[in-house]
Amino acid sequence: MSQRKAVILCVDDEQNPLTLRKFVLQKAGYEVVTASSGKEALELAASRHVDLVLSDHLMPGMQGTELAQQLKAQHPNLPVILISGVNELPPGSAVANAFVSKIEGPDALCKEVATILNLPLEACEN
Amino acid sequence: MSTHESVNILMVDDQPGKLLSYEAILGPLRENLLKANSGREALEYLLKTDIAVVLMDVSMPDIDGFQLADMIREHPRFQKTAIIFISAVHLSDVDRLKGYERGAVDYISVPVIPELLRAKVTVFAELYRKTQQLERLNRELEQRVAERTEELRESESQFRSLANSIPQLAWMANPDGTVYWFNQRWYDYTGTSFEQVKGNESKSLVHPDHAESVVHKFHRSIAIGESWEDTFPLRGKDGNYRWFLSRAMPIRDVNGKIVRWFGTNTDITDRKQAEEALVKSERLAAMGRLAGIIAHEINNPLEAISNAFYLLRDHPSLDEEARYYSRLAEEELARVAHITKQTLSFYRESQRAIPISLAEVLDNVIELQSRNLHVNSVSLEKRFQTQGKIQGYPGELKQVFLNIIGNAVQAMPNGGRLRIALREVTERKRGRRGIRVSVCDTGVGIPRENAKRLFEPFFSTKEAKGTGLGLWISRGIIQKYEGSIRFRSIALAGRNATCFSVFIPTAAATAPTEIAALVA
Repeated sequence: MSQRKAVILCVDDEQNPLTLRKFVLQKAGYEVVTASSGKEALELAASRHVDLVLSDHLMPGMQGTELAQQLKAQHPNLPVILISGVNELPPGSAVANAFVSKIEGPDALCKEVATILNLPLEACEN
Repeated sequence: MSTHESVNILMVDDQPGKLLSYEAILGPLRENLLKANSGREALEYLLKTDIAVVLMDVSMPDIDGFQLADMIREHPRFQKTAIIFISAVHLSDVDRLKGYERGAVDYISVPVIPELLRAKVTVFAELYRKTQQLERLNRELEQRVAERTEELRESESQFRSLANSIPQLAWMANPDGTVYWFNQRWYDYTGTSFEQVKGNESKSLVHPDHAESVVHKFHRSIAIGESWEDTFPLRGKDGNYRWFLSRAMPIRDVNGKIVRWFGTNTDITDRKQAEEALVKSERLAAMGRLAGIIAHEINNPLEAISNAFYLLRDHPSLDEEARYYSRLAEEELARVAHITKQTLSFYRESQRAIPISLAEVLDNVIELQSRNLHVNSVSLEKRFQTQGKIQGYPGELKQVFLNIIGNAVQAMPNGGRLRIALREVTERKRGRRGIRVSVCDTGVGIPRENAKRLFEPFFSTKEAKGTGLGLWISRGIIQKYEGSIRFRSIALAGRNATCFSVFIPTAAATAPTEIAALVA
C-alpha cells in the first residue's frame, strides 16, 4: 500500500496490554500512538492527526464512554472503538462506533478496526 | 307497700241484705267487691275473673257453702283462692272446716264483728297480692334467665364460628395449660381427634428437634402468667411439617386471676419460604456480580497474553521448536478464551439488534457440533418449518443453542437421536406470535431432583467438566428477548426423552415492519 498509514490512538491505563495491543496494530500496518489516560488521549487528539481511537473502557479517572463522548464533541468525524473485558455493554456505549470484547482476540480486533476505517479486511490477515 | 293494686273479693250470700252489710264493712279496704246471690253466680264470677278472696255464707239454698268450696278447690286455678266461711257456730261445721286446713280457709262466726272480718279479708287480700307479685317476679326472672341463656348460646356459637373461620389453628387451655378445646382448623390440619391431643398431648405434633424447647418455654409462660410466643414446625395429617408462629395469651377474670389461656398457631411456611427465596435470589445476584468481576479480571490479562502469542506466532527469531511451543500455548489459551466467553460473558457483539435467521444460527451450531455428533454416534433429524427471522444478536443466540445442543449431545455418550425443530407458533399463555426452537434427545434424561436447580448458576451434573453456568446464562439471554426456556424430561419403559424448548417472541419486532409494508 502506497498510501500513508492510518494513525490509531490506543488508550489504556494498563501498560502491558497497551504495549501488546500497539504491536498487534503496528503489525497489521497501522501507525500507533498511545495514551495511558483519557486526559492524555484528549490532549494528543487535539495536537496531532489521528484516524481512529481505540480505548479501553474501564479506566481510573475518565472512563472509555466519557472519553468517546468528549472526543466526539471535539472531533465529530473521528471514529472511536471501545474495547473491554466487562460482561455487558456499559451505559453510554452507543456514542462509540463499535464495542469490542477483549476475549475476541487480535484477529477480530483487526477486522473491526479495518471495517470502521473502510479498509480491505485482508490488511490484517498477514 | 308502694302501690295498692286492688284485688277482687267475691261475696256470696242468698240474702241481699247481708251482702250489703259486708259491702259496708269491707268498703274501707279499697278492694273490688263483687256480689253473688248464689253459688252458681259465684262460679260464673270465678270463671271470668281472678278472685283473691271468696267470702261466703255456709247455708245457702241452691249450692251450700261447703259444696261451693269443694267445687272451687277442684279447679287447679282456684286452689290458692282464699275462702272465708261465715257461719253460725255449729259443732258439725267446725269439724268440716278442719278438712280445709291445708288451704287458705278461714271462718267467721255470726254475728260478724266488722273489725275481725276486715282483718281477715285484709290478710288474705295481702297474701294474694304478695303471691301475685312473687309470681310476676318469678316469671320475669325466668324470662331473663331464658334471654341470658339465649344470649350466651348465641355468643358461644358466634365465638365458635369466629374461632372456626379464622385462618389460624386455635385452642383454649385451663389455667394450668392443659388444653380443653381446639377449633375445627386444628383438627383439619392435624388430622387428630380431641382424645389424641387433649391436655398436653398436642406436644407430640411439634417437630422433635423443637419439642423440648417449645414445651419448656410454654410451661414457663404458664407458670409466670405471661403471653407465650414461639415459632416451630407442626406435623400435619399428611405427615409433613409446616412452620407456625404460635401465641397464647392469658384470659383473666375481674380480679386479675387467670381463668383460661387462648392460643393460636399461624401458618408462616409461605412467608418463611418467600424469605428464603429472597435470600437465595440475593445470593444469585451476588454470584452474578462476582461472575462479572471474575470475567473482567480474567479477560484483561487474557487479551494481553493472546496478543503476545499472536505477535510471537510468526516472529522471525523463533526456530521451529519454539514456534511449536508457542502454537501449543496459543491453542490452550484459545480454550481459556472459549470458556470465559461461554460462561462469564454476556456481551453483545454489535450495538444494535440486526435481522437474523434462527435457522442459520442453528445450522452454524450443528456444524460446530458435527464432530461430537459423529463421535457419539448420534443421528440428527432437522425439522425446520421456517427461517425463524428475528431481530437479535447472533453471537449470544449461538451461545444459547450451542449450550442446549451441546448438552443434548453430551447426554448421549452411547448414541441416540437428536431432533431439532424450528417453527412459528402462537404462545399459549400470552397469545404472542413467535418462533419456537425445540431440541430433543434420547439421552440419559434429567432426574426430577435436578429439574428445579437446572437453571441455577454453578449447578452442574458434569462435575469438573462443566461450569454450571451454561443454562443460567442461556436463560438470561432468552429473557432479554422476553422469551422463555422450558424443558421436559420423561422416562418411558427405560427410554428417556428430554426436550428443551426456547420461545422467542416476534410480534413486537415484526409489527412495525408489517405496517411499513402496508403503507408502502
